[in-house]
Amino acid sequence: MNYSVAVFASIGLLLLLAMAWLVFSATRRQPRIVHDGSPERESLHISNLPQIKQALADSDFIYLESQGYPALAKRIRKERRRIALNYLTSLRGEFEKLLRLGRMVAVMSPNVAVAQEVQGLRLSLEFSYQYYLIYFRLVTGIAPLKAIGSLSNMVSALTIRMETAMSELGERAALGAELLPDNRSGWNVSS
Amino acid sequence: MPPIVNYLWVASFLLQLVVAALIVIRGHFRRLPFFSAYIALNLCQAVILYPIYHYYGEASKVGYIAGWLSEAITLAARLCATVELLRLVLMSYRGIWGMTWRLLAFTCPMVLALVGIFSRSNAPVFVMQLDTGYHIVFAVALILCLGLLHYYPIRVEPVYKVLLLGFCWYSCAQILVNAVLHGYSYAQYRHYWPVWQTLSLSSYSLVLILWASTLSHSAPATQQQPTLLTDSDYRNIPPEIHAQLQAINRRLMNFWKIQGPKQ
Repeated sequence: MNYSVAVFASIGLLLLLAMAWLVFSATRRQPRIVHDGSPERESLHISNLPQIKQALADSDFIYLESQGYPALAKRIRKERRRIALNYLTSLRGEFEKLLRLGRMVAVMSPNVAVAQEVQGLRLSLEFSYQYYLIYFRLVTGIAPLKAIGSLSNMVSALTIRMETAMSELGERAALGAELLPDNRSGWNVSS
Repeated sequence: MPPIVNYLWVASFLLQLVVAALIVIRGHFRRLPFFSAYIALNLCQAVILYPIYHYYGEASKVGYIAGWLSEAITLAARLCATVELLRLVLMSYRGIWGMTWRLLAFTCPMVLALVGIFSRSNAPVFVMQLDTGYHIVFAVALILCLGLLHYYPIRVEPVYKVLLLGFCWYSCAQILVNAVLHGYSYAQYRHYWPVWQTLSLSSYSLVLILWASTLSHSAPATQQQPTLLTDSDYRNIPPEIHAQLQAINRRLMNFWKIQGPKQ
């Protein structure tokens, strides 16, 4: 088998895999719907920020260890790590919502700059990469926990700023959003 | 022709007739004239080629020329049908439509150059590799477009999505069939041609079944035009979002530098 055959066969296989991924990733994602039928409220984690920050503080563990409860401190640390992981997941959700907002603006724009869209894609990939690294380190217990608090501050502030920016778009954005229903079950512009 | 190729030929011809009938009955031809023409041309190709292959043989010079000439015509028709489908999906979104064209104009020549580099120039193989090259460029362009439709919140009618996926599947299957068969059995030409036809007709028949199932539904209603934002909105909002996302990423990077609690 010569090299050109190998190259073409590899390209064909890669394209087929890409197509399968596009088809199945679209059907796998389901929107998170709450009981009243509307999509889950965004910025849900903001209200839990003080509790998360408190949970991630070192003082409780130090106090328990100093009082002679190392086992309890260990158990609580484990539970709080689980909470931190959930929190990190919700931060990711928030980040993705902001990205979708950016994409929605692009879709509704008469002119779209490739460079700007590529930058959005690059940022998204960068975030995903770092997110999974941090996630891994949290799961394995080798990551610091307290930095998540400052990270959430950043995301929350961004959400508020973007909500303000979108409200400035007024009726046009709202009308446009209504005309952009979901083409894959992954998300809905009304979320 | 071996019996299996005959059966597949008849099956694909009948399936194309079903697809053509559904296009007419369900009124798809009004919104998809090029796609309808593509199906009609495929039917004509089958009607013309079958007697030629039957009397002259598919390995004869007449069969070879007629086969590839008609293939070139249907490939051109397929391209037109695909552009028509993409236009229907994206025409309401001028910015994304324009960006898609720019991306395709940048990507396709690069893929074409890549195909040229890895192709050989001896005549019989060259035609086959030209066909492979076309399918590679076509599939890459389609995957790129489907990727954009996946990435952006753009409404795509299921019927159009299935038609595009059908084209994409067929091209990917052809690339694999051409590459693998060419690699293993081109030397045994007599065995090669029936196997190639069997695999090609099978993959095309699958596409036709998929299309027939989706075209059995009524043609989608005309989409309402979304109200677009102004240029200044796009100039102002996404950079703001990107700047903030960049800041989040920077903060994530700093995450590593913060000293963790002593375990």
